[in-house]
Amino acid sequence: MTRENAPERSVQELYRDDPERADALVFGRRGALKGAALAAMGTALGAGIPFARHMPQGLVPAALAQGAAQPQFLQMEGKAPLIMQGERPLNAETPEHLLDDAVTPADKFFIRNNGSVPDPVADPRAWKIRIDGEVNTPLELSIAELEQRFEVVTRQLQMECGGNGRSGFSPQAAGNQWGNGAISNAEWTGVRLRDVLRAAGLKEGAKFTGQHGADNHLSAQGPAISRGMRIEKALDEDTLICFRMNGAAIPQMHGAPARLIVPGWPGSLSQKWFNRLEVKSEPHTGRGMGGTSYRIPVRPIVPGSRNNGADFVDMESMPVRSVLTSHAHGTRLPAGTRSLDIRGHAWAGDLSVRDVHVSTDFGQSWQAMQVAAPPNRHSWQRWQGSVALPADGYYEVWYRATDSNGRMQPHVAANWNPQGYGANPISRIAILIG
Amino acid sequence: MRVLHLIAIALLLGAAVAVAQTPDLARRQAEAAAALADRQEEETVLTEGEGRSEVFGYCTACHNTALIRRSAFTRDRWDELMDWMAEKHGMNPLEGEFRQTIVDYLAKHYGPRARSPRGGNPFLN
Ligand code: HEC
Repeated sequence: MTRENAPERSVQELYRDDPERADALVFGRRGALKGAALAAMGTALGAGIPFARHMPQGLVPAALAQGAAQPQFLQMEGKAPLIMQGERPLNAETPEHLLDDAVTPADKFFIRNNGSVPDPVADPRAWKIRIDGEVNTPLELSIAELEQRFEVVTRQLQMECGGNGRSGFSPQAAGNQWGNGAISNAEWTGVRLRDVLRAAGLKEGAKFTGQHGADNHLSAQGPAISRGMRIEKALDEDTLICFRMNGAAIPQMHGAPARLIVPGWPGSLSQKWFNRLEVKSEPHTGRGMGGTSYRIPVRPIVPGSRNNGADFVDMESMPVRSVLTSHAHGTRLPAGTRSLDIRGHAWAGDLSVRDVHVSTDFGQSWQAMQVAAPPNRHSWQRWQGSVALPADGYYEVWYRATDSNGRMQPHVAANWNPQGYGANPISRIAILIG
Repeated sequence: MRVLHLIAIALLLGAAVAVAQTPDLARRQAEAAAALADRQEEETVLTEGEGRSEVFGYCTACHNTALIRRSAFTRDRWDELMDWMAEKHGMNPLEGEFRQTIVDYLAKHYGPRARSPRGGNPFLN
């Protein structure tokens, strides 16, 4: 706070006196709300905003930003009540405060399907994975054989949807309107893809991969999705062919019996129900490659404009992001609460996280949190700390991570693109004291 | 009564967390996903207006209306999406008057929700 003893502005008061002016003042808009809606706005917040003076023009308080529509929650045995994004295809997001575990349990793992969920197989150990294309010896190995022939490793790995954070884009981008909850950090067990590729023997022309899985497209015509990457990522020590998650069989929802895990890159590369990897000399052309799919502009485009993505590039390492997991958005705390212990996780694709900062005064001042080292490369990192709250009232806790190259989460989603990849703006949760 | 309900819910939640991924659970989850996908929708989940039956009929072959209802695009972006669905996802290309009816409906009822506080982007019409 810059000025002591500044009078607290009550949004309620503002709205009661002159709702239209209040709306223009507090939210920097005119004529957006009318009549009853406008009157309701003041009471909706239900408290004073101790830092109202610092609230940027045009910023909708986090408590209202979600809009009128109430989210629907998934009800499924073995799954927590995740936020429904859609039933067909089935997509559901983990609310941030359910991501508190260091290792994401199966029930709190977000669901992203491009097609239909296949039926479980009778004998998972016999499930076969084929490696072919630009290799000297094409291989076809069952899970049992993979486990026997290659070193089995266990790592905690972030796996995040390429579109995580999409709802931050304005104007709206096409696709699931994820908040920050399309992220997981489970403990994966499997064999390194690079060991298997070396056994097959890469040819000179081995430059790219093409992944395949068993799920069908929604139209029932062909595969749901088939994406690929540069061979360098396939040869990373953390790119694994997995057959166990958190020490148990991989859940059906998450790609049983085998899933490729390509940590830190768009989750669509982490092929579910994984059964084949082609090694290629040219970029893969499967469904989900090319155009505007999983691709981002090199030369920034006008938000909302038409673009076929021809000169975009494939999205690779995901941008830095953080979640706050100790308190739910909309938490109400007893009057007189003057400090808050908070924590969450932060991650940055192939990089690591250097800092996490928190602000409770709309970004006017920032406080460094403690950030723990990751248990292994490509795992998210725990951050925690304590913030002081000078008075009762409405607060927003803003949290912002910085990656090991010094790049921070921006104030608003950057580099708009039609299908909405790479939005990692600073997040905030609303808290009410008293 | 209420307390009993709460206890029942707590037990259910506890059970859900405790279940490991067994073959039985895998099957039940796959069935649950299929049931969700098969859930029938009424046309009236879409906003009333000219072109609604066409949209409902044509656009729910692959996915349900959740994808439409959560969207808020300009006419131009809806139009672009029609091509994307045809090129990338095998939708029968939409043409002529029929395309116009569908895009008009979508743009009118699922258009941008609110203009930004600064009155939109100066580089767009
Ligand atoms: C042949 C199948 C098919 C038909 C018919 C179809 N779509 Fe789609 N549509 C898809 C697929 C596949 C997706 C991607 C879903 C995903 O990845 O979650 C999609 C996505 C969308 C999206 C969201 C964009 C995105 O990236 O998720 C919207 C909006 C949409 N469709 C609207 C429509 C409308 C309106 C119609 C009718 C004119 C229609 N669809 C007809 C297959 C189809």
